[in-house]
Amino acid sequence: MDKRQFQEYLQKNILILDGATGTELQKRGLPTGIAPELWVGEHPERLIELQQEYLAAGSGVLLTCTFGCNRLKLAEYGLGEKVVEFNRNLVGLTKKISGGGAWVAGDISTTGRFVEPFGDLPFEEAVNIYKEQVRGLIDGGVDFFFIETMADIQEARAALLAVKESCDSPVWVSLTFNEDGRTLTGTDPVTALITLQSLGADAVGCNCSTGPEAMLEIIAAMKPYAKVPLLAKPNAGLPKFSGEQTVFDMEPAEFGRYAPLLVEKGVNIIGGCCGASPEYIRALVDNLREARPILGDSPGVTAVTSARRTVFIGPGFPVTVVGERINPTGKRSLQADLSKGKMTEARRLALEQTAHGATVLDVNVGMPGIDERETMLRAVDQLAVASDLPLALDSSSLEVLEAALRVYPGRAIINSISAETEKLKSLLPVAAKYGAAFILLPLNERGVPETGRERIALIEAVYREAVKFGFRKEDIIVDGLVMTVSSNQKAAVECLTVIDWCGRVFGANTIIGLSNVSFGLPERSWINGAFLAMAVGKGLTMAIANPASDVMIHIKLAADVLTAKDVNGKNYIDYFTTRDREKQDIVSLPTQEATTIPGRIFKAVVEGDKELIEDLLRKGAAEGYGAKCLMDEYLIPAINKVGDLFEKKRYFLPQLIQSAEVMKQACAYLEPRLKEENGAVAAARINIVMATVKGDIHDIGKNIVVLMLRNYGFNVHDLGKDIDAPTIVNKAKEVKAMIIGLSALMTTTMVEMSKVIALAKTEGLKCKFLVGGAVVTPEFAREIGADAYAKDAQAAVRIARQLSSN
Amino acid sequence: MTEKVYNFENIPSRPETDAILARMGYHRELTRVNARDGLLINEGIQQGLAFCNNKGAYRRCKLSEIRDERIHFGAEHHFQSASLARMLRGSREVVLMAATVGPEITRAIAGEMAAGSPFRAVVFDAVASEAADAILDWMKDFIDKILLREGKKLTRHRFSPGYGDLRLENQRIIFDLLNLSQIGLKLTETYILVPEKSVLAVAGVEGIESNG
Repeated sequence: MDKRQFQEYLQKNILILDGATGTELQKRGLPTGIAPELWVGEHPERLIELQQEYLAAGSGVLLTCTFGCNRLKLAEYGLGEKVVEFNRNLVGLTKKISGGGAWVAGDISTTGRFVEPFGDLPFEEAVNIYKEQVRGLIDGGVDFFFIETMADIQEARAALLAVKESCDSPVWVSLTFNEDGRTLTGTDPVTALITLQSLGADAVGCNCSTGPEAMLEIIAAMKPYAKVPLLAKPNAGLPKFSGEQTVFDMEPAEFGRYAPLLVEKGVNIIGGCCGASPEYIRALVDNLREARPILGDSPGVTAVTSARRTVFIGPGFPVTVVGERINPTGKRSLQADLSKGKMTEARRLALEQTAHGATVLDVNVGMPGIDERETMLRAVDQLAVASDLPLALDSSSLEVLEAALRVYPGRAIINSISAETEKLKSLLPVAAKYGAAFILLPLNERGVPETGRERIALIEAVYREAVKFGFRKEDIIVDGLVMTVSSNQKAAVECLTVIDWCGRVFGANTIIGLSNVSFGLPERSWINGAFLAMAVGKGLTMAIANPASDVMIHIKLAADVLTAKDVNGKNYIDYFTTRDREKQDIVSLPTQEATTIPGRIFKAVVEGDKELIEDLLRKGAAEGYGAKCLMDEYLIPAINKVGDLFEKKRYFLPQLIQSAEVMKQACAYLEPRLKEENGAVAAARINIVMATVKGDIHDIGKNIVVLMLRNYGFNVHDLGKDIDAPTIVNKAKEVKAMIIGLSALMTTTMVEMSKVIALAKTEGLKCKFLVGGAVVTPEFAREIGADAYAKDAQAAVRIARQLSSN
Repeated sequence: MTEKVYNFENIPSRPETDAILARMGYHRELTRVNARDGLLINEGIQQGLAFCNNKGAYRRCKLSEIRDERIHFGAEHHFQSASLARMLRGSREVVLMAATVGPEITRAIAGEMAAGSPFRAVVFDAVASEAADAILDWMKDFIDKILLREGKKLTRHRFSPGYGDLRLENQRIIFDLLNLSQIGLKLTETYILVPEKSVLAVAGVEGIESNG
């Protein structure tokens, strides 16, 4: 059947599929541990019996017994070389059974490995594995293809592309959704639908994992956005494990009663999955005798997707902010990372922009000295997992865009396609193949037209070309192309003319690169903000901007309220209410009145203010406060105060550290002055040797203890991590340590602590032993002869002071 | 059920900010943070998350028998643990799991300490620890969804070697069975995983019994 026949048939009919194959073959003797495809080849009569029963029950489609007939699955049975042969033969068998009484669909399902970026199977390898299977199915003469029980959108895309690149036959794609309404890798039904129908699936739907009741919600969610028929192939209820086998809990009559309900929700194609034997199909047929398909073309909604989220764009939705910051221009950290092949900074920018309210991320990795294609592929892989936001793929290279679109696990936006003839010729087919939306730049070989009218002419010209590739207006986002008003004051007005025309007359989304308008002017945020408000008033639906700009985000939120896109002002109210609540949480700390310099010194330590401390100490000295006075009467009491706040949980660890750092700075500043004041008599400092024991590599806890002890004037000799007993003991002897502090984080390494203590005692050391670490307990400390156990850095300081004063 | 290892190269899990803060001692009712520190902490959390490269692996193994606190599974392996034996009493399989946030965050923590920024090091450390746990939580959820189709589920709890009476040395068994060098892990002679922010776990597979 070709696509046109398929569409015509479904205009008038509900298509009934067959039911379960795997569970039914098990009932007919299929043993575990053998490839079903091999077994059916040896016992064809079992499949013949089953599929004839489906035909008799009323199935209009028989699926070939090739569910796991791909190289990876067959290789588990040592049959990896039999892919084409098995597929061809099994198609032949089902065609014979059908005898023209039903269509024959080539059944394709998962390889059992997860596809990159999520899993470890390279995307292109997955496509090739499926192409091999498709070859066999085509050889056998299937009428169309059914890709089913897909748990990962990327694997579904690989299979779909494999079919599309092999032939023109119709291809359906069905995913399996769990109780939470998402696939295993987190894709919701609408996202799956948008992605797959854009990529060229001729029907999309759901099968397996659940019974018909849960599928009502899935189909209802999909239907408003479906441009293709929808299918549902539920299990015979929910699975339960009974003794040695899985059974299903729904009877055929109840199963059948859901059929008209599913059709009402929008299903055009229906069948049964696990547990649904021929009686279940008969029940479907009996309940659908009067049913007629609900047809409908979805309204022209623009939707783009990531693997796990759909973002709707249009006049009825809040303005979409496209985060612009993943672009190496002017960003040294990002440039450094990209040139080393790293994506850390790109991920950080993705997280930051998401937190600030972006709903799409623009990704541009073009810079000299790197392979842009490879870098873009890495970026797409990493960002597809790091962020839920759809991506706008930003490159002037066809090769880069094509490669990125192929592996992007959603429906992307191409940034951009201009009216230049060569660009149109090369990019439109690629955009169409991968179902991408695109930003239309109304410029051509002669450059950017100055007037709005000229740009409108280019927009219409590009649209005429795009229509030939199947694009509709909702697939296009027109860039108003704002130039800076500092060189042409009419630039903003011309851009607004385009935006207005696109919204009011043409009917397409619009976008602007916000910051362009103010280039060269001072205080740019006001120009950008005013322009944004004006553009939204004219119908703008998207803006490329830095979402961290408060001015921009606040104006966007306000504009969404004023244009009734933010229903009941919910987003606006939530945003500012949350912000105000966060401010209220910031309570003034109970520090003393900070009008005097010493008071401000105290406050700087308590509040962890590194920037002020040295200047304040200088002023203190200038006012006649001695170093010892400042240390003993203000700094030490301040750090004690911090310890007290920490113990009462008014402070937590980062604040403790922040204050400790200020104290460290203050001590470093005062140390020469203290020596001066004390003359030749330097205060004796207590020596402590600290180490993480041999075999253990964890040291952050120990490092914080070191920092705190130094704050309190201890002379700490930090030996580092993975240090053996002799090294620790020798150092303690050398510096005449009063205390040895030991850290261990694992049960296998804490035993080293007793070795250190035993060796030290053998060598005649009289020092005290202080131990700590995640697995260390006071009981253990006692057992090994330690003098004390410290549960955290603050406790370590307190105990060290006690031990040294004793 | 085939006893093969499934590897994940990029796991889309994310630790809760509340959990990261709690790991550093934040108390919702008591702790107060000024605007400057709040901003620094949030930036540190975002940067820390960006340093995490979440990977994981799991494998299902048939449980042969549990006898005298000895759990025999797979071809010829066993764990010795009374607590684990109790947890696995109703199970037919064991699932071995591994999670790692990769080496970059550990390097970043060391880098911050060396550069005299313990504040950021501590934030990164908390992010990494919570991120590793979040990966395991994600994997448990993932495996549960697969098992549900078979009418099965994971045990509510999971065990990590080094806790209770499941000795740390058992990390070697899990490491080898999951072939964890494939996702960039190493195991030291003292059974410590490298990179540091990695964790192994064992859970059981039980049936969801039919009502009939």
